[in-house]
Amino acid sequence: MKNKLSRRRKAFIMAFLAPTLIAFCVFYLYPILTVFLTSFCKWDYTNITNPEFFGWKEMWSNYDYIFNIYPYFWEALKNSAVWALLGVVVQIPIATLIALAFSRKVKGIKTIRNIYIIPNMISSAAMGMIFLQLYSPLYGVVNPVIQNFDKGFSENILLLKGPAFWAITGAYIFFTGTTTLMILGNVMAVPEEIREAAMLDGVSGIKQDWYITIPMIKGTLKTVSILAATSGFLLYNEVFFLTKGAAGTYSISYVIRELAITSPRTQFGRANAVAVIQILAGMLIIVAVNIIYSISFKKNRKA
Amino acid sequence: MNRKRKHTAVKSMSKGTKIFTYICLIWALLVALVPFVWLILSSFKSDPLARPGFMLPESICLDGYISTFKDLHVMRYFGNSLLISGVSVVISIVMISMSAYVVARMEFKGKGFINVLLYSTMFIPATALTYPVYNMINRMKLYDTRSALILIYSCSGIAVSFFVIKNYYTNIPKELEEAARIDGCGYMQTWAKVIFPIARPGIMTAAVLAFLNNWNEYYWASLVMIDRNKLTVPALLSTFTTSFRTNYNGLFSAMVIIILPPIILYCIFSKFFVEALSGGAVKG
Repeated sequence: MKNKLSRRRKAFIMAFLAPTLIAFCVFYLYPILTVFLTSFCKWDYTNITNPEFFGWKEMWSNYDYIFNIYPYFWEALKNSAVWALLGVVVQIPIATLIALAFSRKVKGIKTIRNIYIIPNMISSAAMGMIFLQLYSPLYGVVNPVIQNFDKGFSENILLLKGPAFWAITGAYIFFTGTTTLMILGNVMAVPEEIREAAMLDGVSGIKQDWYITIPMIKGTLKTVSILAATSGFLLYNEVFFLTKGAAGTYSISYVIRELAITSPRTQFGRANAVAVIQILAGMLIIVAVNIIYSISFKKNRKA
Repeated sequence: MNRKRKHTAVKSMSKGTKIFTYICLIWALLVALVPFVWLILSSFKSDPLARPGFMLPESICLDGYISTFKDLHVMRYFGNSLLISGVSVVISIVMISMSAYVVARMEFKGKGFINVLLYSTMFIPATALTYPVYNMINRMKLYDTRSALILIYSCSGIAVSFFVIKNYYTNIPKELEEAARIDGCGYMQTWAKVIFPIARPGIMTAAVLAFLNNWNEYYWASLVMIDRNKLTVPALLSTFTTSFRTNYNGLFSAMVIIILPPIILYCIFSKFFVEALSGGAVKG
């Protein structure tokens, strides 16, 4: 009897886990293995159906090509890395400040909070399209502002090296709605006794936020920092809609898609080599954010 | 007993804190509203070129809105998006609410491993998987079909739904299950008749989040679909620069129409979004 029951239990567990595990294998495991293995293969538009291993001696050929010959890799890596960094040093502080403001009792706060989240509810493709129009030299709003300082300015900022990068950045970086909500959730969960104790000690307002609230929500801050850095590192839609990689704005994701799909001479093996670097860099970001947080909060405690 | 932190009242704030708070709030409003105000304003201008920037329109022109429905057939793309996002949400949410139940409420070998496995998907960059997934879709002869996107959306984004639903299951009292078992329900029945209905709010939250994600998804939608008639709304956007060329009034109007459904969805379900994203600590 007991045996039969435990067998039934096992069958139930297996049956309920199976669909998700299959989905995981189809969409994550199999593709990741393919990416790693074929990054060591000659695999392009000439041999679409059968990737060929380079052999042990030349196994790094794709990486060699990406690092030393392919013209956009370093530009893309630099851009993506800067976008990852900006996620942590710009988005997180903004999101935290706004979350702290939202945690105060002000009339209409709920409405402002809900409005602030709206841009995050819209496809980043649509936001990219909207900013493409905002940046238009013909009817946008950015050029008239510049013309206040430089009367003759009539260029498209998306075609200027330098400004184009910052234009892409500006098209997404201030929309921190979901991050703000995640932080706010944690701020509101700080027990009231702690806040009251701080008030008795005369610590309130911004001071209280800085010394009490922020150290208490560091776990969430770390998680959202990782998410912000990762999504900055993976930026694709904004690049596609605003510049298509022109004026020095390639991103790693853009390079992968160009090599694997859009280019007339597709290079699957090389695209997958870049993908391996993207995966590894993503892990590096997680480790780096963890280290930064453990160092900075240790210092905080000592001070 | 309410252990949750209450909002700090304005009156008790010092002047500095007050000013600082208001600056943050004004900034939040400006950031969120300026792009949309400008977009809507421009959509009413018969010729945005003649009145650029924040200049007010001379008279309100609605031609673009009419042609968005009549000539662009925008409803067709809404239909595509609705079908694809809807079906994939149902598939993935049923799948995940089953697995999350097992992981949340039963003990078995390898449970920790499965947890880590599913959690790790949050940090696997989808763009890195571009070619393998694209290739797989091709080999399954699904390229340029709606099923391709349904397959991709059902399998991706596992992590978020999994954790939202699992959290909800964990908070359901164990006694309920035991009672059902004593009443003679099998494992399957216990889940389907007792646990699933109780967990409905949590599952609903995950479903709304997943639906919005799928509705807004651009990367895969633009990768596996070519046929204009099958495009989802975000993928349609990338055809705008060529299809509207100089008809800026039409372009702006179409964009206003296109961003409306997610905003409406959000207005209806904002409670779900706010509670899900804030971990339940903020009331929607």
